[in-house]
Amino acid sequence: MNCIECKEGLGPFLDNELDESRASLVRTHLAICGDCALVCEDLSAILFTCGSEDGMELVPPNSQALWCRISNTIESEIKPAPLRQPEPVRGRFWRLSLPQLASAVLGIAILSSLLTVVAIRNYMQPTTADFTTRSAPTQTTFEKVLAKVGLINTPQQARDRRVKEQQAAITYWDNRVQTRRVQWDAYTREAFDRNLQVLNESLDQYTYILQQDPEDDLSVEMLDSVMNDKMNLLRDFSDL
Amino acid sequence: MICRSPKILGRSPVAKTTILLTSVVFFFALVGGATAQKRFSKTYPTGQNAVKFALLNRSGTVVVEGWDRTDINITAELESPAANIVPQNLSGTIVINLVKDNQGRAEVGIVNFLVRVPYYAMVDIETLIGNVNITNVRSGLVRAKITSEGDINLTNIGSSSVAAENTMGDIFFDGDIMEGGTYRFSSTRGTINLHIPFNASFRLTATAPSTRNISLGVFSNGMNIVGNGRRVIGTNGEGSATLSVTNQQGNISFFRR
Repeated sequence: MNCIECKEGLGPFLDNELDESRASLVRTHLAICGDCALVCEDLSAILFTCGSEDGMELVPPNSQALWCRISNTIESEIKPAPLRQPEPVRGRFWRLSLPQLASAVLGIAILSSLLTVVAIRNYMQPTTADFTTRSAPTQTTFEKVLAKVGLINTPQQARDRRVKEQQAAITYWDNRVQTRRVQWDAYTREAFDRNLQVLNESLDQYTYILQQDPEDDLSVEMLDSVMNDKMNLLRDFSDL
Repeated sequence: MICRSPKILGRSPVAKTTILLTSVVFFFALVGGATAQKRFSKTYPTGQNAVKFALLNRSGTVVVEGWDRTDINITAELESPAANIVPQNLSGTIVINLVKDNQGRAEVGIVNFLVRVPYYAMVDIETLIGNVNITNVRSGLVRAKITSEGDINLTNIGSSSVAAENTMGDIFFDGDIMEGGTYRFSSTRGTINLHIPFNASFRLTATAPSTRNISLGVFSNGMNIVGNGRRVIGTNGEGSATLSVTNQQGNISFFRR
């Protein structure tokens, strides 16, 4: 008998359940094999302990009650969770999801880009010549967007503003001329009136055309030019 | 009954004749003095460097001629009441400002100028009323501005920057178009005639909104009519210079020089 057959037969051997021939073989092997003899001793000690102790002490009388006590003890040692307070609005404001955060960054980038472009354009180019002599169809899409959000004037607004400025200047110089013209000789007065009339005729003509067709770029340009000419005429004669 | 002076009646015929002749001489002397023109003349020597003549006149004709000398000669005929003329020599620039020199005066007579400048001198003429004629100038600048009415004649001009502007009156230009130059002609009511070389190189913007009469002559190639015939834009040759012509109520004509 080898060690494996011996260990398989140890349990029935200790319980006296092996036949005599096989029990004899086990005994012989235990006599010559120290390892198997040691295993047999351990096993017999366990059987002896189990057989001598009262079984009631090993098994709890009421296992369900025992587990209830254990559970209560554990629960009493764990601190109760604090009640959750409602989160303030400010704290919630900054808790953004990733898409929200990305959208916010993108929006800020676009806005700052637009403001930069507008600032550069205003710095690089005088505002007078830009839209005052242009019509809406000549606007770029970018300019239309800026005009929509109110960052720049539309051509019509720019033109109106320019005309108002010119009218104010003309009124100023005209007042100066009225105070000085009494000192002029007849020749100068007649020449002045003749030329002013010619300029006014052109002004009336372009004003009429623009009332019919506000998008007529060429008339816008000519109106601007004639108003400048009128202003120059008044200014030069006001020095006399 | 007619009363006669006993003193005159009592004198001899010789004395009477003498008194009458003397009276006549005094009369014509006084009348002549009232209508006589004053004359102003002055010459300013200049160097070979850049020279500029700038004049702001009130009323009268201004004639500027380029000559092959280095000095500037100014001659002016002043009608009564004579204007004050105080030329200034500001480091190579001769400046006459009749508006400033006569400001506050109720009446100032017409002043007609004849100015001779070195042909290489820059010329800047402004006047409120009157004609401006500039000839034989080949410098960096020729500018003629009439605030109200008067004709502008620019003849034999070879400048890289030319500007002519008036309200009522004709504009005539005869000269070269320099490479990279700027040429601007503007009138409200008048006729603009430009005589330029056929091979001139320029970009043109000619506008005659009222008459729509823009005659390009031999320069019609490469030109486009826009704005319902009110404007012509285009290029002649390489398009080096910039030529801008605007006539609010008149015609524009181009001629081969």
